[in-house]
Amino acid sequence: MAWEDLVRRHTRRIYNICYRFTSNRTEAEDLTQDVFLRIYRTLGSYREAHGGFATWMTSVTRNLLIDHYRRTRRDRMTDSIEDALPQVEEKESKGRRPDQAALSGELSGQVQYALSKISPDLREAVILRDLQGLEYREIQDVLSVPEGTVKSRINRGRLELARLLEQMGLRPE
Amino acid sequence: MNWNCEKVETNLSDYVDRLLAPEERRGFEAHVHGCAVCAPLVARMTSLVASMHALEPLEHPAELERKILNATLGPRKEKLGWRVWFGWMQPVLQPKFAYGALTLIITAAVISQAVGIEWRKPILADLNPVNIYRTADRNAHLIYARSSKFFSDLRVVYEIQSRLRPETPPQPAPEQKQNPGTSNAPDERSPRKMNRARMQDVVTVASVLGVLPGRSSR
Repeated sequence: MAWEDLVRRHTRRIYNICYRFTSNRTEAEDLTQDVFLRIYRTLGSYREAHGGFATWMTSVTRNLLIDHYRRTRRDRMTDSIEDALPQVEEKESKGRRPDQAALSGELSGQVQYALSKISPDLREAVILRDLQGLEYREIQDVLSVPEGTVKSRINRGRLELARLLEQMGLRPE
Repeated sequence: MNWNCEKVETNLSDYVDRLLAPEERRGFEAHVHGCAVCAPLVARMTSLVASMHALEPLEHPAELERKILNATLGPRKEKLGWRVWFGWMQPVLQPKFAYGALTLIITAAVISQAVGIEWRKPILADLNPVNIYRTADRNAHLIYARSSKFFSDLRVVYEIQSRLRPETPPQPAPEQKQNPGTSNAPDERSPRKMNRARMQDVVTVASVLGVLPGRSSR
C-alpha cells in the first residue's frame, strides 16, 4: 500500500528532525506520530505549488514542532529546577540526556546538547541545513522566510553552536 | 572590497558552503590568514559543519512505524509466526495464480496422456523421444479413426431418422369443385399400409448401408 511505503520511507527522517529539535526521544516519537497523522488527514490539500512532497512534509513537521515549542514553553521554565534534580529526570526520561551524551564524548551528543541551547529559529535552520542536508531554496520554502533570513539564521546558528562547543571545551574533530 | 572581522563573521557560512564569488573568496581568505581572531573561528566553523554533515541519522524506535500505521489506518493484526515465515508465498496464493497453475496441470495431463506417459507407473523408457513420437503418432491415428467412425455412424443415424420422419402433413388444398357423382371418401391408403411402407424403406436403407446382417445391396 502506498501509505505504508510512505510511512516506512519518511519515518526516520521525520523522527530525526523531531529529535534534533526537542532533544527528547519520547517527545520526538509522539511528534513523529502527530506529523504523520496530520499528513494523513491533509494529504488531499497537498499541491505541487508547495514544493516537493518531502519539502511539504518537512513544512508540516516544522509547523508542529513550533506549535509544540509554544505549548511547552511554560514547562521549560522549570528546567532549572529539573536540572537541580537529575535523579528525577533520569527516571522520567527515556534514554540519556543530551548533556550526558555530550560529556561522554560522542559528537552526536555534543551537537545535540549545543542545539538544545540555541533559539528555536536558529535551531531549525541549522537542523534543516546541516543535519538534513536541505538546500537554501528548500529551507526557504519550509520556513516561509526570505533567502537572506535563511542565510542569516544558519550563519548565526552555526556561530552559536561553535561558541557553545568551545565553552564546553569540546571541539569536533 | 575591504574585509574586516565583522564582515568575515557575517559571510562565514557563505564561505563554508562555497557560495562566495571567487573574488570575494580571495578577499575573505586574505583577511583570515592575517587575523588571529578570525582564523580559529573559521577553522572551528569549518570543522563543525563537516562534522555535522558526517553525522549518521539516528535510528527511530522499531515500533514507531507500526504505531503510526495503527493511528492512521486503524489497528492492524499482528502477523502470526507462520505468516511471517510464509509471507513470501502470498503472491503465489492469489486466485489468478491458482487458475494459471490449474490450467498448466490440465495441459500437462492432456499432453502426457497423448504421448503415453503413465504417471502411476512411470518408467524411464516413457521419456525416450522415439517412444514419445510413436505413442503420439499412434494416438493421433486412433483419434482420427475414431472421429471418422463417429461421423460415419452419425450419417447412418441421420439417414434412418430421415426415413422414419413422418411426412409433412399436406397443406390444405384449395377446395375444388367436386364433380357431380363423386363421393367425399378419405384417401384409400390406410395407416397400417403407410407404416408397412416405411418399414420397407428402413430395411432397404439398412441393407444398402450394410447395417443389417444377411442382406446386401444389389
